[in-house]
Amino acid sequence: MINSLPDWLDPYKWMHLTESSDLNAIEAAIYSKNPTIRELALLLSPSAKTFIEPMAQRAKYLTQRYFGKTISLYSPLYLSNYCNGGCVYCGIAADRRADRLVLNNKQLSKEIEELSASGIDEIVLLTGERMPEADVDYLENAIKLSSKKISSINIEVFPMLENEYRILANAGCTGVTLYQETYDPIVYEKMHRWGDKRDFYNRLHAPERALKGGLRTIGLGALLGLANPVFDMLCLYNHANYILKNFWQSGISISFPRIKPQLGEFRANFPVNELMLSQYIFALRICLPTVPLLLSTRESATIRDGLAGLGISKMSVASKTTVGGYSSNIEKSTEQFEISDNRDIKMFCNALRRKNLEAVFKNYDSIYREPVLYEKKSKK
Amino acid sequence: MSDILSFDDISFKSRLLVGTGKFSSIKTMISSIKASKTELVTVALKRFNKAKTEDDLYGPLLELENITLMPNTSGAMNAKEAIRAALLGRELSKSRFVKLEIHPNPHHLLPDPIETYEAAVELAKQDFLVLPYIPADPVLAKRLEDIGCAAVMPLGAPIGSGQGLTTKEMIQIIIKESNIPVIVDAGIRSPSEAAQSMEMGCEAVLINSAIAAAENPTKMADAFQQSVKAGRLAFKAGLMPSTETAIASSPLTSFLSSYD
Repeated sequence: MINSLPDWLDPYKWMHLTESSDLNAIEAAIYSKNPTIRELALLLSPSAKTFIEPMAQRAKYLTQRYFGKTISLYSPLYLSNYCNGGCVYCGIAADRRADRLVLNNKQLSKEIEELSASGIDEIVLLTGERMPEADVDYLENAIKLSSKKISSINIEVFPMLENEYRILANAGCTGVTLYQETYDPIVYEKMHRWGDKRDFYNRLHAPERALKGGLRTIGLGALLGLANPVFDMLCLYNHANYILKNFWQSGISISFPRIKPQLGEFRANFPVNELMLSQYIFALRICLPTVPLLLSTRESATIRDGLAGLGISKMSVASKTTVGGYSSNIEKSTEQFEISDNRDIKMFCNALRRKNLEAVFKNYDSIYREPVLYEKKSKK
Repeated sequence: MSDILSFDDISFKSRLLVGTGKFSSIKTMISSIKASKTELVTVALKRFNKAKTEDDLYGPLLELENITLMPNTSGAMNAKEAIRAALLGRELSKSRFVKLEIHPNPHHLLPDPIETYEAAVELAKQDFLVLPYIPADPVLAKRLEDIGCAAVMPLGAPIGSGQGLTTKEMIQIIIKESNIPVIVDAGIRSPSEAAQSMEMGCEAVLINSAIAAAENPTKMADAFQQSVKAGRLAFKAGLMPSTETAIASSPLTSFLSSYD
């Protein structure tokens, strides 16, 4: 069934290298001048764990070269947790007993006010699947409201059509985060029990529609733990390169969401521990040296502090995953996942400073919101 | 006679231009700028932060004495956005200088020659001193000179790559043909490469990553300051000729002299 993936995505022929025990080849991959999927496959292999320290050193060197001694900050903002989706791993799936809430204009303004006052200047607006409570019109309005105070506005919502993305780009949205969850179509089908999200290919091609619609950046990711993580990492690499090749002005970033073995009711079929997570981050940094790599507050303070600057170049901070979580006077809603790093912005920035890293709050400006055109003057 | 770098009626003693991104703290940035003895500092418009002063680069830079700011348009993907950024940058800095950079691909950050040219035409009309970051393309450099740019800034290698002067041959052509200052911007990793650029006849170099990402940025800024000075002095002194082979003391063609 893996073979049903499009050629540009399918990493099948490289999978054997992910079981390699050729230590010389693995070591050479760390220092490769022009790493390809071949080097990535070697660096993802269990044998590469022997080289975790040199991989970390190399990841740090490359991160510093392209991103300097800085970490860009952002925060998620949950607009709504209404959802008709059937994701087996999610805390706000339709069949979960959850307190549902959607922010109205006044509540959203308060949330924005709170985030902006704390210095945050990049946000990700989140919803569940497409619902009447939080549809494209709702998002357009939310983006317009947010854009008064925040420079960089991204969405992490449901896949849309090109013209819907264009509406959001015109409203001031700059980027879309859309994790494929897993690139294994069979596992994907099992994990998404009903609804629009069952359509694997609709989700897979949504980033292309978003870019055609005028958005600038795409956040990719696989939810680690659902399927063979090594397979998902290779697909992620192919997906990123496919987008970069076909949309030359696009910015790609990659996140590393992970189902933690010890938390929640849902058990990961392929548990990814901290060492594996670190290995995958180092491997992707080595093979995609200019791509921002993100780590959220799902991970612990220890892991986040450790990985900051070692591949990771962008981090969320002081996140709330409940709707209305930033302004305390809104009634409580159920959170999507549990936060592990609860430190406030000041504590987190101090931790970065101890690693000789500076937090950058504003790295964008609202004057850079022209929707991108890929077909400027098409010849007829 | 003093050796002065001039743009229009504005002149500088220092030939080292410094960028302000990627530093581990504002304190390190400031001490590096001081150690570099630079007089012209570039700073991204997007790093102006009115809402959070600890995150704002403009405030601390504007306090420095004997420093002229040159806002840059980093983040702009097209001419329209770059022009907007330049206008705002002028408001903030009260400086006529703009470092025009338009790199639509956020991964390699290579400059877009077409959008850069379009924006330069407009900004030059609006009395900016335009210093465009460009590919090392001799024809583009002349086109930009023709429309009134104050200098051209060809890249040595992609921003932050530290690959050195990979475009050396093209930069030499640009220097040979240019009537405006040529400043190498991007790619330089070590002071020796900065010195080499100056020896080749560049009027200045612009350094950011090589200082900010060094183990000790302040010391590295000093090293660059000295190397730029040395390189300039060498250029002024005139390098001895270099040849591929040794010059034979008894010419091979001496037997021809009797046939004169």
